[in-house]
Amino acid sequence: MLAIADNYFAQFALPVDFEINSGRLGSRYRELQAEVHPDRFAASGEEQRLQAIKLSSYLNEAYETLKSPLRRAGYLLRLRGIDVEQVAQSDLAPELLFEQMELRESLAELSRGESAFDRLDELNRKAASRLAERQRQFVQALAGNRLDQARKLFHELQFLHKLQTEIDKKEESLESVADF
Amino acid sequence: MSLLQISEPGGGDPRRADHRRAAGIDLGTTNSLIATAIKGEVRTLADAGGAHLLPSAVQYGAGGVLAVGAAAKARSAADPGNVIVSAKRALGKSFAELRSGGGFRQYRFDAGKGDAAPAFVTAAGPRDPVEVSAAILRVLARRCREETGEELAGAVITVPAYFNDAQRQQTRHAAKLAGIEVLRLLNEPTAAAVAYGLDRGEHGNIIVFDLGGGTFDVSLLSLRRGVFEVLATGGDTALGGDDFDQAVADWLIAQSGAEAVAAADWPALLQVANRARERLSDADQAEVAWRDWRGALDAAQFAEIVAPLVRRTILSCRRVMRDAGIDAGAIDNVLLVGGATRMPVIRGAVTKFFGREPLTDIDPDRVVAMGAGIQAEVLIGNRPTDDFLLLDVNPLSLGIETMGELVEKIIRRNTAIPVAKSQEFTTFKDGQTAMALHVVQGERELVGECRSLARFTLGGIPPMVAGAAKVKVTFQVDADGLLSVSAEEASTGGKAEVQVKPSFGLDSGQIEQMLRDSRDHARDDMLARALGEARLDATRLMDAIGGAIEENGEILSAAEKSGIEQALAELRDAMAEQDSARIEELTQRLNHVSEAFAARRMNLTVGAALRGESIDTLSRETE
Repeated sequence: MLAIADNYFAQFALPVDFEINSGRLGSRYRELQAEVHPDRFAASGEEQRLQAIKLSSYLNEAYETLKSPLRRAGYLLRLRGIDVEQVAQSDLAPELLFEQMELRESLAELSRGESAFDRLDELNRKAASRLAERQRQFVQALAGNRLDQARKLFHELQFLHKLQTEIDKKEESLESVADF
Repeated sequence: MSLLQISEPGGGDPRRADHRRAAGIDLGTTNSLIATAIKGEVRTLADAGGAHLLPSAVQYGAGGVLAVGAAAKARSAADPGNVIVSAKRALGKSFAELRSGGGFRQYRFDAGKGDAAPAFVTAAGPRDPVEVSAAILRVLARRCREETGEELAGAVITVPAYFNDAQRQQTRHAAKLAGIEVLRLLNEPTAAAVAYGLDRGEHGNIIVFDLGGGTFDVSLLSLRRGVFEVLATGGDTALGGDDFDQAVADWLIAQSGAEAVAAADWPALLQVANRARERLSDADQAEVAWRDWRGALDAAQFAEIVAPLVRRTILSCRRVMRDAGIDAGAIDNVLLVGGATRMPVIRGAVTKFFGREPLTDIDPDRVVAMGAGIQAEVLIGNRPTDDFLLLDVNPLSLGIETMGELVEKIIRRNTAIPVAKSQEFTTFKDGQTAMALHVVQGERELVGECRSLARFTLGGIPPMVAGAAKVKVTFQVDADGLLSVSAEEASTGGKAEVQVKPSFGLDSGQIEQMLRDSRDHARDDMLARALGEARLDATRLMDAIGGAIEENGEILSAAEKSGIEQALAELRDAMAEQDSARIEELTQRLNHVSEAFAARRMNLTVGAALRGESIDTLSRETE
């Protein structure tokens, strides 16, 4: 039904690179999914349907991994033999932890008020620009095969993504009490 | 030209030899419909009186079902306890949820035992929401048979995108009970987009805002090159037009200065509220009368009364946009689905939020059934499959209980399905040979706030030091959104699997049993099973706590220790009896008195818990 490629990038006929053509990723994904999706086999035998579920699940996993910049970065490290699930204490510099704590604290202190959304926007901008910067550094580290540095940057990216999620949550909780 | 042509290639006769009758069914909270292809065009079917909408109401008498649909609904005020309306809202709900939930004030419930769903108490005996839904489905299938002269070979049944696993399973079971082969469960908003896509060939990002009688869904779909992709879904399974009626009813009570309203009077009061609300869809003011009180409700007052409900719908929209990372400007179309979207307050709020006028060309009550009918034609093979493909997402996060009643999410919400994900866990005690796995669904961090889906135990783990065994837990969700979970121990290859069944539903075996045998017989079976399961849970908890005291007993005060020991002794005594409810109650009490102990033990192993590597072997009873 579907030939499984060596890696997710190859599966969608994309170069192994952090920079990705997301339009192409999406269209290749839909083409492949159209071949293997279980709905195509609704009237087929049990075995074929199970196979379809497996292949379709695999494609979804591949697609979601490449679609998210953070997961894509982690996957690139994994392809280089680095297990990003195991966080070593030494990967997390004290400055980083301290800085994160500070950002989180200023987030927690935000309460409902005229300026809350403005300050939230400012935090969001700060996080986004730092994220863009770290992403650039990550690409460079990977290109220069400085894997240790790349791994540290990856963990930093993880923190920043988490911070963004928390900003979103905060925004939502502020919205739910404010009038729109 | 539309990419999604519905005509048969070569103008083939839709009744060719291999043609099989397929239909789409919108099993709604307030009304249900069936749509099928007539002369190549999918449309909804009407009853003999010309009505397309079948009110989702079933009246029971001593002998069984007395009436389904409009006749049953009309008797709702006169026979409130025996006319079941909005049964869909009760699907997958626990006894406690039903008793406290809004919209069910006029019913009495039977708790059910073990895996049995809680049931409405009717003149015909207890009838659970699955059976009520099956009664509605039977009437629709008959309508299709009479209209087409063919047996129904298969159907696509729609469910709210936000339906959890238990609710989806029960919908499938209702169809099975009605003798209908389910081709696929389809999310309602997706079905609506299918109907619109076919008629107009729309492309781009589409918001489907579906406010029905009892459920609210908002979905963001992307339609590209004949492939629908659900980018994100959100909503509320307990919000719908009915709630607007309730709000108006509450206002009526306050205005008229009435004393507490008897349960039996609610249907009549809700009818008054409903008429006023519907009048306000095209008038600025509605006259209302309740008992001796007469007055008027105007549009501005109504807007004020329902503002919190309207706000909830818009918050869900906001959340969906955020989940998908898309702003309102990137939305190409907004579709309105469900009768309640006829309310001007809703149209106004939607237009304001998305900055564009919503599409309302297709009857909002029929659009979902039509989309399902089209999909049914494809799945049964009457239409070429390369017409389109629906890619759905998992509406609620699925996870597993870890130390300290926390939830480790394995599959996050809005993940494209089908999907399979694995995660490794380890033992947390030396020599531990079994692991109790608790599968939950929901967005909250604490197990108690999520829905419990299944529990199972992986045994046969070779005794090793804590943390050495590696257990791989795999979650697989199929295209219908149904979950199965397996666990495998790496060194021995020992395996345990569970097809997740709804916590308050029936498994397929039981459904068949019910088809063959009497209801009473099935009940006996369930009672026996409930007792077995209660004993199993109790044993598991007693063992776990016994072991925990042995290991970490020193962190308990004398008073705590005697409290736990007393609860242990009482439970041990109850195990000798046949009363599963008593065993469950005492299990819960034991669980409760040992909570603080479990929390402190968790702190001892907090390092492991932070890495999400350990599973709490203390099995917890939720709900």
